[in-house]
Amino acid sequence: MKKALTLLLLFAFSLTSLQAGGPWPQKKGKAYIKLSEWWTVFDTHFVGSGEEEPNSTTGIYNTTLYGEYGITDRLTGIVNAPILSRNFMNNIVSRTTDEIITPGEAINTIGDIDLGLKYGLNKPGSKVPMALTLTFGIPTGETAGGEQKNLQTGDGEFNQMLQYDIGTGLNLGKTVSGYVSGHLGFNNRSEGFSEEVRYGVEFGVGLAAEKLWLVGKLTGSESLKNGDTSSAITSTSIFANNSEFTNLGVELNYYITKKLGISASATDIIRGEIIANSPAYSVGVFVDLGKE
Amino acid sequence: MSRVLLFLSVLSVLVVSSCIKDDFVEDFVQPQIRISSVIDTLGVDSIFTVNATFFNNVGANEEVNFDWTSSDESIITVSNEGVARGVSEGDAMITASYLDPATNEEIASTVNFTVGKAILPPPMMDPLQVKEGIIETTTFYALTGDFTFSETEDGGIDIDIASNYRADTRLPGLYIYLSNNKNSIANAREISEVTTFNGAHSYNVPNVGFDDYSFIVYFCKPFNVKVGEATL
Repeated sequence: MKKALTLLLLFAFSLTSLQAGGPWPQKKGKAYIKLSEWWTVFDTHFVGSGEEEPNSTTGIYNTTLYGEYGITDRLTGIVNAPILSRNFMNNIVSRTTDEIITPGEAINTIGDIDLGLKYGLNKPGSKVPMALTLTFGIPTGETAGGEQKNLQTGDGEFNQMLQYDIGTGLNLGKTVSGYVSGHLGFNNRSEGFSEEVRYGVEFGVGLAAEKLWLVGKLTGSESLKNGDTSSAITSTSIFANNSEFTNLGVELNYYITKKLGISASATDIIRGEIIANSPAYSVGVFVDLGKE
Repeated sequence: MSRVLLFLSVLSVLVVSSCIKDDFVEDFVQPQIRISSVIDTLGVDSIFTVNATFFNNVGANEEVNFDWTSSDESIITVSNEGVARGVSEGDAMITASYLDPATNEEIASTVNFTVGKAILPPPMMDPLQVKEGIIETTTFYALTGDFTFSETEDGGIDIDIASNYRADTRLPGLYIYLSNNKNSIANAREISEVTTFNGAHSYNVPNVGFDDYSFIVYFCKPFNVKVGEATL
């Protein structure tokens, strides 16, 4: 369950696309760095049957540093580090008396860090590049924070995800370029958490001489439900074990200079089980040292 | 650089704006007075202290001063402290009332008394009381089952949940409470974390009166959400 947060962090992870991510490794010695703020605030969640139920308002804000570095032309090191993760829950207040029944709480810690290696399966410049990425989810976040132990910035679980990416560039006209990519991954989890299958497709369009990129994406996770039940795991988050989701998202990236850009994204969940039901947003600034 | 500073400023605003706010719970319940100790017959010239408890508009037990009245003071009288005295043989009612400032309503509860022989008989030992009920889900999570709620000889209660009980194992942090407010656990008695999700099981709750609470409620504690209830 704890993987809860990781699911969300992976949302953020998946938002880092475009020149980063996908089946395109960085060139040797090149890098992509992004500092972003990702957040979601929710007062409903999807139950196991997929129906929606209310919960006390909970928010998660992650200030994340994401980086890729080309170790070789085909091997890229990846770091996704929520350097500040804030999780809060609202006060529960009596409508009748205006008295606080349960005080709200917040914690601010580092989140779970992902470390990964992406390997290009074919030569750089291939028309249909493919890559394998191995990501280790390091449980550096807090699993039971606050006086009531209800707050989390991590899941306390070490997981390993192997992901296959494939994509291709698209020529959409004289001034419009694009790409399409997809991925399929398997997330092996520990501490009683169920394994997961991750998937996603992405379509990007580059405008204004590739200064502006518009991206649409669909991502999801299916639980194998082979771990403990949500009730059996010491979980204090709604992001229980056996969570599933399908997300639709849009993203905008704009190169202010040749290498410096800003990004913004919005992702909404269109189907879920045992997971928050709310849109997630992200804004960021990036440096793309691999752009020529 | 100025754009980066602008971004960092936006980021700071976002983090700072993520402060804790209020979620309101609709937790009003009708205030009530419960008279918990009665006897069948009070002897002439004998006294008996009537115990009454006020539960306010959120179901919390509140210490108040009641107004005590007798429907017929030629049969029974009652003092400001609720001490009843038999005067002559007959039937009469004693009423405890309280003007609740929160609702500006007068709340009252009445109990019938029979005044009999001159000597107060020893109170009859009532058999231990038992009632039955059904646990019902209040969400899409499965939570259902029959139960019996019974007094114990040591002044507590037993909740025996029947074999048809089922609860969704996907419920994290499920707890069971006794409460006088179905929508709040603010003044509830926490019984236990729920660890049984299928079949018969029991809870023993010491030092609880049979009529102290009106509901059993199941709450998902981490998220302060009620997921099931039963009326006692």
